[in-house]
Parts: sequence; C-alpha cells; structure tokens
Amino acid sequence: MQVYSAPKAIKENSDFTFCPGCDHGIAIKIIAHLIDELNLKENTVAIASSGCSVFLYNFLDIDCLESPHGRACAVATGVKRAHKAQGNNKFVFTYQGDGDFASIGLAESMHSALRGENITAICINNTNYGMTGGQLGPTTAMGQVTTTSQNGRNKEYHGFPIRTAEQIALCEGTSFSARVALYDIKNIINAKNIIKKAFEYQNQGLGFSFVEILSSCPTNWKLSPKDSHEKIKNELTQIFPLGIFKDIKND
Amino acid sequence: MSEKELLKGNIAIAKAALNCGCTCYFGYPITPQTEIGEYLSQKMQEKNLAYVCAESEIAAINMALGAASTGAKVMTSSSSCAVSLMQEAISYACSDELPIVVVNVMRAGPGQGYIFPSQGDYNQATIGGGNGDYHTIVLSPSNVQECIDLTYKAFHLAQKYRNPVILLADGLLGQMAEPAELTENPYPQIDNSSWRLDGANSRPSRNIHSLEPNQTKLNQHIINLYKKYELIEQNECDYEEYLCQDAQVIFVAFGSLSRHVKSVCNHYRKNGIKAGLFRPKSLYPFPYKKLNELSRKTPIFIDVEMNMGQMLKDIRLAILSNAKISFIGKPTGNWLREEEIINAADNIIKEYYASI
Amino acid sequence: MSYIKLDKNKCKSCYLCMDVCPKGLIKKSDEIGKTGEFIVKFEDKENQCLGCSQCAIMCPEIAITEVYKE
Repeated sequence: MQVYSAPKAIKENSDFTFCPGCDHGIAIKIIAHLIDELNLKENTVAIASSGCSVFLYNFLDIDCLESPHGRACAVATGVKRAHKAQGNNKFVFTYQGDGDFASIGLAESMHSALRGENITAICINNTNYGMTGGQLGPTTAMGQVTTTSQNGRNKEYHGFPIRTAEQIALCEGTSFSARVALYDIKNIINAKNIIKKAFEYQNQGLGFSFVEILSSCPTNWKLSPKDSHEKIKNELTQIFPLGIFKDIKND
Repeated sequence: MSEKELLKGNIAIAKAALNCGCTCYFGYPITPQTEIGEYLSQKMQEKNLAYVCAESEIAAINMALGAASTGAKVMTSSSSCAVSLMQEAISYACSDELPIVVVNVMRAGPGQGYIFPSQGDYNQATIGGGNGDYHTIVLSPSNVQECIDLTYKAFHLAQKYRNPVILLADGLLGQMAEPAELTENPYPQIDNSSWRLDGANSRPSRNIHSLEPNQTKLNQHIINLYKKYELIEQNECDYEEYLCQDAQVIFVAFGSLSRHVKSVCNHYRKNGIKAGLFRPKSLYPFPYKKLNELSRKTPIFIDVEMNMGQMLKDIRLAILSNAKISFIGKPTGNWLREEEIINAADNIIKEYYASI
Repeated sequence: MSYIKLDKNKCKSCYLCMDVCPKGLIKKSDEIGKTGEFIVKFEDKENQCLGCSQCAIMCPEIAITEVYKE
C-alpha cells in the first residue's frame, strides 16, 4: 500500500535550486502537499518574493506572481482585493524570506496584518540574507557571525533582531501567528498542521494568518545539514521559541 | 446623455476611471492629487470595489501590480516626489507586462519641492525612473475634458498593450474646475483571459515574473518588449497642431501650460507673425515624425515648459538641424503668463531674423 | 515488504534521510551526484523497511517520491 507520494502540486521535472540540505525544500514540499490536500490548485494565486524564495513559481504548479523585494504582502493584497471586487474569492499566499518579510518589507507585512488582509504569509527565517551569501539580517541572532558582522552581532553596533511571529501576533487584524521548525520529523509534521491551520483560517475569512518557519542555511552557516538542524534545535529555538502566538479562535 | 458640469481635474480623472470600469484603486494622500483618492474611497466602497488606503506609495503601486495580474482595471495616483517611490514597481510592471494606470499630478521638485504645480517630471515619466530597458506610455491632458478623455485612453492603452500608462497631469489642472462632459468610454473591452492569474482551473498554471536567469531568454524578453514599443510608437503618437501649417514660428508645449501658449499664438497672429502651437498629447511615444515634418517648413521652434527644458532634447531630436530651437520656461510656481512668454519670444524671433 | 522509491537524479547528498531512517537502510552509494558528492542508496536486503516515510518527509529535494508499506 502506498503511504507516501510526492506532492502533485510540484511541477514535473522541476528540481529545487536550493543548496543541499536547505529547509526551503521541506517548506515548499509541505505547502505543495497542503495544496493537494485542501484542493487549492484551481483557486490559488501565490506570491513569490526576492531572495532564495524567488523561484517558487518554478516549483509549484499553480498560478504565481513575482513581487518586488519586500512587497509580497502588498502584491497579495492587490490580488486578493481585485478578485474580491470581481466577485471571486481566491486563495492567496506569500512565500518570503525573513529579509523580505521582516526587513525591507516590514511596513507592507505589518500593515497587511493590521488591515486583517485575508491572506496567508509564510516567512522562512534562516537568520541571514541567504541568497547574497549570508549577511546580517533582521533576524540574525546576538553573537551570530555573518559576512557583515564578522565579530558577531552585538547590540551596541548592530542592534537587536526581530521576533517576527510575536510582532505579527500583536496586530489586531492577525487571525493566526505561529513559529515552527523543520529540524526533525515531529516538527515537520507539526509545521504542516500549523500551516494547514493558517491556510484554513484564510479560507474561513478570519484575517491575516502568518507562519514563520525557522529554517536552516547550511551553506552560509558553514555547517552540515545535520549540524544546521542541531543548531536550530539547540540554539535558535532558545532565541526564537516555537509555538502559536496568536490564534483568534482561542483568544 | 450626460451634459457638461463644472468639474475639478482631479475629480474628472476619478469619475472617468470609475466610468470605464476601474475596479481597483490603491493610493496614499499627497497634495495636489488627494481628491482623486478621496472621491474614489467613497464611490468604490459603495460599489464593493477594491479601495485600499495604502501605508505608502510603495505599497500602493505594489497592490496595483498584484491587482493588475488578475486582469482588473487598476489605477493609482500620486504626485511627483511620491511617484518617485513607485518607480521600482513600474519597472517590474513593464517587464511583467501588467496594465496599470498611474496618475501623476505634478508638483514642484526636486525632493520635496512644494505643492506648486510644475512639469518637472517629464523626464521621469518619458525616460523612466526605474531600472532597465523599458517604456511607459505617457499621456498629457491640457484641460479637464482631456482629463476624462485621456483617462479612458490610458486604461485602454494599458490593457491593449499590457503596459503601465502614466497620465501626466499637473497641480494646476488637478485643482482647477471648468466645464467638462463625462462622456461614455469609447473603447472596447479587451480580452485578457490568455494571461490573467485567477487560479489554474482547467488550464495549465501560469506565472508572471521579471526575473530570468537564462540570459538568452532575458535578452529575448526585452527584445520582445521593444517590438511592442515600436508598435506603440507607430500607432499611438497623439498631438494637437494649432495653426502650424503656415507657421514661421512654432511653439511646442504640453499640458495645461499649452493653453497660455495658444493665446500667445493668437497674439502673434494678430500682429502679423504666423505663430503656431504643436502640443504632444502622448509624451511617450513622442511625435518625432510630425515635428520633423513641420521643421521642413518652419525655421523657429520655441519650447515652453514649466521646468528647466526637459522636453528640449526630444524636440532637438525631432527637428531638422537647420531649424532654430529656443527655450522659455521656469521650474515651478505660477504658470508663465502670456506677457512673459511674449517678452521672451519677441527677443528670440528678433534675434533669429537679425541673424539671417 | 515495505520500500521507498528514490529518484537519484534529485539527490543533492545532504544525507538528512540517512539520519532519520530508524533502520539505517539509507547509505552513501559509490555514485557521484550533481553536487559532486556521493548520493544515497536504499538497501534493504533483510526486508527491514518499516514504510514509516520519515526519509520522504525529511528529504528537502523530494527525491524520495513514493513509500509503500506492507
């Protein structure tokens, strides 16, 4: 009996362009499985962003639109509202990195949450600007060495990182905000359930739903994929705790 | 059957947008164009259309980008320094081939400048303030009636060519009221079912993006865009000629300032000098060919603008090298009065005839 | 007999699947893949595979495309 199959929402012959062991692949696989499970393909427009997440449209077999760096939530707002004005309720989600969502695009992201825009944003947090080779980003942890914080991030010189899921949870229009990780099977399965919930909240029209995915960046962290997962488990979850920070149904 | 009513330029643009099926507006307030958003905020909510008070012009144009991908008729409006904020997304929209109408009711620059009217964004609009090889169609209304007519045309051309169109008005036109008729939109609906993003239902999935890591494909994409621009240049040059056919001197002016220049022409005609006005209504595509033809017969061209001569280079490119070209203008503030233009033009004309 | 289907053209040699297989059935092969490293192989001579799918759930490349459980 077949107990697992690759998601149908992944395009045939599309190989991921991510580095070996990068969690982006796991995240997109989860999303693709959910598109299958929730029958979203025919009604969805996804918004890709800039950074490693940019090639989303090469992988997912759904309608996709690229957005300028940081503006994915604004673009998603336009897509969602334009369809609504034509009497259609489309499923719209963004797939962004932490630099995209929480640095250059923080205004667009947070205002989409404040407006309660009925979209879902997925943010891959790998604590650096991955595509450009691992620079200090909004989520770089204290003490973390990057190519632009070669002595480690310190508060006097670089200031503090952002805890995105907690910040988005503070917005009144947010229906759901959570942080998940992908460093082991249990967490991957949990992440899928959490993202499913975020998707369902959009389908139920509850407002802005958000999932931050704590992800590995083996190449720029200069760690093996396995050690990267260990780092997330042992270090990063101390700084960026996993959990649900807002759930409109429980609050 | 509608009839003429007293309309402010900004309101005329807003009414025309609604009248030709604009279903999405995204904007952020800035003088002197705020009435467009104010008017539409109420009307669009009444009609359950998409109106978002965006958190910035950057957000507004990106919302417009997203909305345009659905095939909807989309507009945003702003003014000079804030249109600068939109340039990135306009470049994307050109590469993505998304139809967006961007209204720029120009104020003074550079930087914050002030709310005085100006024509200082000619370069930004016609050359493009964003990165890469692209063009936006640029239409320039000169009166409130044209605010209506060219808004219709802007939506039509945006859809027809899948390209952003800039309606380049100015603060004077936005704020002045005059009688105009909200006519019916004369343009047909354009089918966009072959490219819009509305879910991969009974068809293969689609994507719209400007990023292209394959250089052959990227080159071909840009070459294809330029084939489209060639077509636009062939088909969409729009201009007004006023007494140009026998003119000894042709003034070239665009937008609301051209109306003063028309009076200047009348003044010269009364005084025995055959003066004419050539007014480009499409600033991109610029009517080079027509202006070139005129320069075969007319020896003097005088460019009159409310900026430091941004259109001069286009006129120079258009006219024959033996025609003389001069500039009258100032960067901002009260529009040049007829007397000011006449005083300056008298000297130019005198100098010319003294030199031959 | 439970088993997995592995698309070796997709394997990028991250070896995350090797770590999650409770029976240690996924090992480095002697075949070099697209990243220049040895790709993995599934070897189950004693029919130990549980069909638990953990390797497939973990694989970031969707190189493990199918899992069958008997």
